[in-house]
Amino acid sequence: MVLKSLADLKEIVAGEPKKKLIVAAAQDQHSLGAVVRAWKDNVIEPILVGDKEQILNICAANNYDITGVRIIHEPDTDMAVEMSIKMVNSKQGDVLMKGKIGTSSLLKGVLNREWGLRTGNLLSHFALFEVETYPKVIAVTDVAMNIAPNLQDKIAIINNSVGCLIKLGYKMPKVAVLGAVEMVNESMEATLHAALLSKMNQRDQIKNCLIDGPLAFDNAVSLESAKRKGIRSEVAGDTDLLLMPDIEVGNVLYKSLVFFARAKVAAVILGARVPIVLTSRSDSEQAKYDSILLSAAASK
Amino acid sequence: MVDMVLSQKKKYRIAVAWAQDTGTISAINRTVKDGFVEAIMIGQAGRIKDLCSEHGIDPCLFSLVDSENETDASERAVRLVKTGEADIIMKGLVGTDKFLKAVMDKEYGLMLPDAVVSYVGVVEIPAYHKLLFITDAAVIPYPDLKQKVAMAGYAINIARRFGIDTPKIALIGASEKVSSHFQYSTDYVEMKRIAEQGYFGRCIMDGPLDLFLSCDEKSVETKGVRTPVNGDADILLFPSLESCNPFYKSLMLFAEGELGGLIMGTSKPVILMSRSESEKSKYYCIALSCLMA
Repeated sequence: MVLKSLADLKEIVAGEPKKKLIVAAAQDQHSLGAVVRAWKDNVIEPILVGDKEQILNICAANNYDITGVRIIHEPDTDMAVEMSIKMVNSKQGDVLMKGKIGTSSLLKGVLNREWGLRTGNLLSHFALFEVETYPKVIAVTDVAMNIAPNLQDKIAIINNSVGCLIKLGYKMPKVAVLGAVEMVNESMEATLHAALLSKMNQRDQIKNCLIDGPLAFDNAVSLESAKRKGIRSEVAGDTDLLLMPDIEVGNVLYKSLVFFARAKVAAVILGARVPIVLTSRSDSEQAKYDSILLSAAASK
Repeated sequence: MVDMVLSQKKKYRIAVAWAQDTGTISAINRTVKDGFVEAIMIGQAGRIKDLCSEHGIDPCLFSLVDSENETDASERAVRLVKTGEADIIMKGLVGTDKFLKAVMDKEYGLMLPDAVVSYVGVVEIPAYHKLLFITDAAVIPYPDLKQKVAMAGYAINIARRFGIDTPKIALIGASEKVSSHFQYSTDYVEMKRIAEQGYFGRCIMDGPLDLFLSCDEKSVETKGVRTPVNGDADILLFPSLESCNPFYKSLMLFAEGELGGLIMGTSKPVILMSRSESEKSKYYCIALSCLMA
């Protein structure tokens, strides 16, 4: 199965036992709206860990009726993070979400050696984009977490992402390794990585997906462009997952798709024991809602 | 843009290297019919004629020059420009490396002494309230400070041709924070300093800025970052070709963007487009080059 739109996520989640979403430092107006909506839609069961009075005030001010939602009072944000993570570890939660706390504070907790959510895997950011003019959802990684991944990091990022796509119902997702050009060029490291990753995939060193690269953006997503350039590739024009060379490229592309192409986006952090929802203030409520759905779908 | 070209009431002579490419022929055909271009098509003359008849284009609208290979066609096109028989050179079906080799040849090419050769694109996007100038999507993989300064200068120059008196230049990064881990971000600090000293003339330059802070006023408000560019950039300068290239391609494919682009730093305008660019983009590119000729 291949996702045609982000709305498909709801069907995936609806077909499974309801997931428990733990919101760390939940006294956050920007997150609560999306959390409450997902709860009302019956797709997740939230547990709010944070300053109870502030949570109730925000809900009252925004007319969110949260009668029946479990709230655990912990006014200190670092303590709230620790408590949330310990709940995940004791199997009381399936997904972790960031509330009113800095990303670095949350990640510090996630990476804590004693009580964190480490699995030995690299943490990576995974985003799904729904663009009107592409016939299916396109996954992009890593646009936010790993600054300048080396070859080993890229393998880990692909494995995280392919694992997630398979959970969403994909079989052998097609992975395009992005370059500025489709030729291997020794002065551009990204193209060398791309060639290595493709070959490692052919030799089954990276499994469960079909990798080709380097592919320039147009060849990755447009069969017509690929044909005009005479590129023979099973991935070109039919990409499910686009691997970014580094965070600069990823950041620009992500923002270009959201702002100029009016793409819908859902994102999740992979590689920890459970999926982590890490949205930012500038994300729309819809994006936060879709990210909650994606994380729930990725947590089975 | 096309109106500005037409208002000059001039015909520009364009030499096309290795011209047997349908998209290029149709775009050239339109500019010839619109009355601002005379074209010299260099390539396999028989093939060019065939392609013309396939698409109902009259090959007599062009001067045809027969050539047997890509390198020869590129060198001939460069020579025509160099000797003043043509005003502008355009890449046809020839590979970019062979074409640029002819253009950048030290003896016979179109290089200016000590000039940085770079690429500036002009994009029209429905989701943005004005034209956007971008650099460098095609030539310099990882520009150093000197190259970035030249790139900014070229983009400002082109923006001024479009009547933008005080262009706003956003120096693009993944975030607005300066960090010694990112060489480009410290380069940007230096660029801002020389911009303030008046090196680029009248302009507003700021960076590092992400795409949202550069192009979306609302994000500037939400994030509470103070920047004179204020979500209203005319020019985006990217830290690398790797980030600029997928950026403009995403605009073309997913945001109904149209692109024209030029090589800068040469003695005459050089039109360099990817073979996969649409006919419409090629048309815009030609119009832009006429403005710069």
